[in-house]
Amino acid sequence: MRVAFLVNDLQLSGGVGVVVQHARQLSTLAGWDVTLVLVRDEEGPSWHGYEHLPHLHVRSREQAHSEHYDIAVATWWETTFTLFELEADRYAYFVQSLEDRFYRHDEAERLGAALTLDLPVSFITEASWIRATLAGLRPDARCYLVRNGIDKDVFSALEQPPLNTDDPLRVLIEGSPGSWFKHVHGAIHAAAAMREPHHVTVVCGDRKALGDVVADEIVGPLSHREMAALYERSDVVLKLSSVEGMFGPPLEGFHRGATCVVTPVTGHEEYVEHGWNGMLTDWDDLRGTARQLDLLARDRELLHFLRTNALETARAWPSWQQASQFMAAALLRIRREPPPAAGAGAARLLADLRSGIEVYGGHLHERMDYARRATRFERPLAQLRERRSGRVLLAAKGNRVVKIVAYPLRPLTGRARRLLS
Amino acid sequence: MSDWQERITHETAPAIRAEHELRYRLAAPIILAGGSWADLGCGNGLAAAAALGDARPAHALLVDVEEDAVARAAQELAIADAKMIAADLTDPAELRQVRDALLALPAEPVVSCFEVVEHLSSFVPLLEFSVELARDQGVTFVISVPNDAFWSINNPHHRTSWGEGAFEELQQLLPAEHTLMRQVALSGSAMVGWSAAPEVHELAVRVGGDGMVATHFIAAFGPRHGELRAAALAVQADMAEQRRWERERESNAAIAQAMVGEQGAVLRAQEATIAKQTRELREQTAQFDGWRTYIHELERELGRPLAGSAEAMAAEAGGSAGEPPTQQPPPPAEPPA
Repeated sequence: MRVAFLVNDLQLSGGVGVVVQHARQLSTLAGWDVTLVLVRDEEGPSWHGYEHLPHLHVRSREQAHSEHYDIAVATWWETTFTLFELEADRYAYFVQSLEDRFYRHDEAERLGAALTLDLPVSFITEASWIRATLAGLRPDARCYLVRNGIDKDVFSALEQPPLNTDDPLRVLIEGSPGSWFKHVHGAIHAAAAMREPHHVTVVCGDRKALGDVVADEIVGPLSHREMAALYERSDVVLKLSSVEGMFGPPLEGFHRGATCVVTPVTGHEEYVEHGWNGMLTDWDDLRGTARQLDLLARDRELLHFLRTNALETARAWPSWQQASQFMAAALLRIRREPPPAAGAGAARLLADLRSGIEVYGGHLHERMDYARRATRFERPLAQLRERRSGRVLLAAKGNRVVKIVAYPLRPLTGRARRLLS
Repeated sequence: MSDWQERITHETAPAIRAEHELRYRLAAPIILAGGSWADLGCGNGLAAAAALGDARPAHALLVDVEEDAVARAAQELAIADAKMIAADLTDPAELRQVRDALLALPAEPVVSCFEVVEHLSSFVPLLEFSVELARDQGVTFVISVPNDAFWSINNPHHRTSWGEGAFEELQQLLPAEHTLMRQVALSGSAMVGWSAAPEVHELAVRVGGDGMVATHFIAAFGPRHGELRAAALAVQADMAEQRRWERERESNAAIAQAMVGEQGAVLRAQEATIAKQTRELREQTAQFDGWRTYIHELERELGRPLAGSAEAMAAEAGGSAGEPPTQQPPPPAEPPA
């Protein structure tokens, strides 16, 4: 069985890490040959650490063009652009999140990511909620659920959670501060608002994006083993994300004896049970989150109860070896089934496209209107700048004293602005 | 009681035997009606024999990874036309052998495969094998996996973990037409006459609903999957055996704990001896250093090379050849530490 997984790059974090794990495990099965195809031109096929796996390869897009695969699998919406360039008997799409949600409403990528779900492919996904959503969006398409495994060598389940009866509550905040939907700063603010003694550790690979924050410790980037050690030193993993796929970090924390306080983000329902192995907090409720953390800091019996149950949840979670057996079974099934009809999803694709065009048409119209209004201001401003008195006036506009004096006159200047527009 | 209950024996606790027996009872009507039966992972055949009672299918295929287990199952079940195969169900070649034997059975067979999947290093070959046979060859399969998620035990014999989530993943890979069931544990009590003569009680048990937790998940697929009917089985608990087992465990645990304590004491004594010997070694080393210094001082006074130095060694070697010892003055000796 020859399988190609299409990835943007080999930065082993998040989604790519999941794909690499599957590729690695599948390549160890008898009769399987797995290739990771790098679809970005600038990404060279450099690859270290898996040379001992003879059936796992890395190829550039050009190299992959000359090969034939049983199945080609896109793993991120941008990789679908290359999917049908490859010669394969079947095409599949491994959906790890509804990726349009990573972009704001006025970003073109949002439409692009959404449209890829209309392609005539078989779907594989890692979370039940994505499977349910895809079943609603694409009732015509087959979708297989393959939950992510956990690297049990690195995040091995402890025998017992470490006991913390007296020390400050050790809170771990993890995530990319540059991603708006991770709400890392919100989590830091919530932890800072705690009244009970606490120790906050922030794991962050991008210190610049993090900026100045209140935390006892800022670490990172960390290797998986370092992360496992850090989870073991933590009581609670705090995550306030608003978009997640399978939501892995709290589960990794569970394996190392930590509980979690999380928002009811998609993916949490796979394993977080409020009051049993973790706690759920409301959206945008930083004060409420701080009170939940205070509760855990005060009630150490509750904390240990949650940590013990979190560990129990972790023990039953499948390893990567098991997860990839489901992946193998799903790929075999897709290979055996007839391919989707060429027109599958076409109606939906066009409907989504039309709706996208309407939305972007609306945005464009709005922006052109702003531009037209701006032009009205620009002409008199340009004339003003040409005169010396005008330049003095414009320079004075930024002066603090002038601002204080001008503030009571705002109703008049506002009226003038309205007349001008 | 068997280790981890991985093999059902006569010593296995009644509750666990009943649990296994019920799964075979579930399949028994279609096994007996069809006439051809295969049991993958047949073990000792005790649970199947109990479930089938006096009835037996006309033809059987018994498969297990252990040859001895297959032989014991054949003896226990005593089916006239029984074929035995020792096969590893993760090996496609051995699965082909099972497939051939299965298709050689005279009627469309029913295959039971209880508590096997979790023991396989890879369940993909078995899954592919069973789905293909159910779809193309009219074979009906009844399989089960335990709900590991509820027990929080790291069973060393289980190669994969099963729970609601994992079973959902398995379910989607089965043929579209299938029957699913949950097996739940029962507990209860019964009254018997003072003479304690054996008697049979008919029970009506309310099962299912909120808060119900499955101990096992059952899936049936193939042409006869719809014929499975929910069932329950209650057996008298062997309290004496249970008590014996618990006391044995307690006494074993106490002995083990005492042994750990003794070993700890031995270890501590050894550590103390090592510390004492280390201390003595340090003292003796200091003493020897003092002696060495004193001897070196004497040697200097006598104008002899310092004992143990290269010069002394050379002199000693040369002396035997008749050369005079060196007359170079030695360096001043360092005071003892």
